[in-house]
Amino acid sequence: MTRARRIAAPLLFFGGLVVLWEAAVRRSGDFALFPCPSGIAEAAFRRLNDGTLISAATGSLGRVLVGFAIGAALGTPLGLAMGLAPPVRRAMGPIVDSLRSVAPIAWIPMALLWLGIRGNAALFVIAYATFFPFVLNTVQAVQLVDRVLVSAARNLGAGRTLMLRGVILPSALPVILTGARISLGFAWGSVIAAELAIGIKVHSGTEAAVGVGQQMVNTLYFHRDVNALVLYMLVIALISLAIDRGLRGAQRALTPWRQT
Amino acid sequence: MTAKIEARGLGKTYVSSRTSAVEALRSVSFAVEPHEFVGVVGPSGCGKSTLLALCAGFTAPSSGELLVDGTPVNGPDPRRGVMFQDYALFPWLTVAGNVEFGPRARGLDKAKRRAIAAHYIALVGLDGFADRYPYELSGGMRQRCALARLLANEPEIWLMDEPLAAVDLQTRSILQDELLRLWGDADDRVRRRAVMFVTHGIDEAVYLSDKVIVLGRRPGQIKEIVAIDLERPRRGRRSSAALNRYVEHIWGLIQDDAARAIVEEKS
Repeated sequence: MTRARRIAAPLLFFGGLVVLWEAAVRRSGDFALFPCPSGIAEAAFRRLNDGTLISAATGSLGRVLVGFAIGAALGTPLGLAMGLAPPVRRAMGPIVDSLRSVAPIAWIPMALLWLGIRGNAALFVIAYATFFPFVLNTVQAVQLVDRVLVSAARNLGAGRTLMLRGVILPSALPVILTGARISLGFAWGSVIAAELAIGIKVHSGTEAAVGVGQQMVNTLYFHRDVNALVLYMLVIALISLAIDRGLRGAQRALTPWRQT
Repeated sequence: MTAKIEARGLGKTYVSSRTSAVEALRSVSFAVEPHEFVGVVGPSGCGKSTLLALCAGFTAPSSGELLVDGTPVNGPDPRRGVMFQDYALFPWLTVAGNVEFGPRARGLDKAKRRAIAAHYIALVGLDGFADRYPYELSGGMRQRCALARLLANEPEIWLMDEPLAAVDLQTRSILQDELLRLWGDADDRVRRRAVMFVTHGIDEAVYLSDKVIVLGRRPGQIKEIVAIDLERPRRGRRSSAALNRYVEHIWGLIQDDAARAIVEEKS
């Protein structure tokens, strides 16, 4: 098969599906319940024009990034301490294990109670969701550090600081970054869930705090627009994909010594 | 003159909660004199690597005494440089980064470190590869890099754990000669460092060493310490009749143990 055909064949198939989908919805005539490609395109066009799509996406993404940074900033040091010092591991291990069994979104009511509906509750849930993968991956990463390399560093005269900065951290970094990718996936899932849960009340509140989840609630209860709902779902998927791609790139850039 | 390394009745037993205690070494006594190249050979499971780990200070003896310059070994020391079996290069550092690691640990500033690294990288013949990562190097080049890293710390004692086991035969021959050159095979005796070189290869040990410690297995004990009375420089003279006689003699000492090691490792 030629290169052109290899690319064209799936595109044609996909195009065919879209046409079939459109035709099926038009035939049913029930535009209120079934989304169709032309409707989604129109919804996208409208929401791109009035800026709601961009502001919703950046609103959610901003929350995810801040929450992710908090989770990383708290989780990595704890993971390092637990991985390097067995007493810390024994003390913190059971606490970490029992807390991480609580699904992040189960914290939403508490978070709303403590932090209100302005978006900080979602931030809390995201930080919570990312914290545990960071802790666990860092612990594992530290335990996976090659003992021979530690011996080599000691033999070359490395003190505590150089051992940590020059050996433990760089050799743990690839595993920590893999954990970061998983965390960010969790975070993106959690922000949508959190925003769906708190969204409806925010509608009348501050515009800046409105994310994709809140817009979906808004769309569901006020506009009743199925096409827009599917549009938001697509946006969620696209951002999720972009996040993973971005982190893969970051992983490659930060660990150039890895062959893959 | 005190010996560089002296072992008196050295013993090591590994105790683990899961398995019964394993006696790796029993009452081993020997001396490595200054400027002396000492080979250590023996079949699998004779405690060669344990002996080297003891000298490096990675593990403490269970019995007996181990002295370096007359003082008991107490933990690792950069003056006793180790070259590891599988290179043990830091994969996240380039060749230069690896070679600079020792000077960095000593707290030298960047310019000095650079200069030292450049010097030793050139010495081992890795010019032009300073910015490569270990995964980009062949086995022989990794070995050279490990050697440069060892030399950059200017250790008084070189402890080498089967450093050439993982390269092909031709590369090994070349690296043996390189090692002799760097050690000072053709130079004045006082310029040479004390070396302990653990290897599987009897011919390699004889070719390189001033004396060869022959270990038996289970537990590791010294069978014989064979003085290799061959003229230096030896580079390029790897197949004299005298050399072969030493090889045959040592092979005779460990043949039975080596055969038993194969059977036991299979079972």
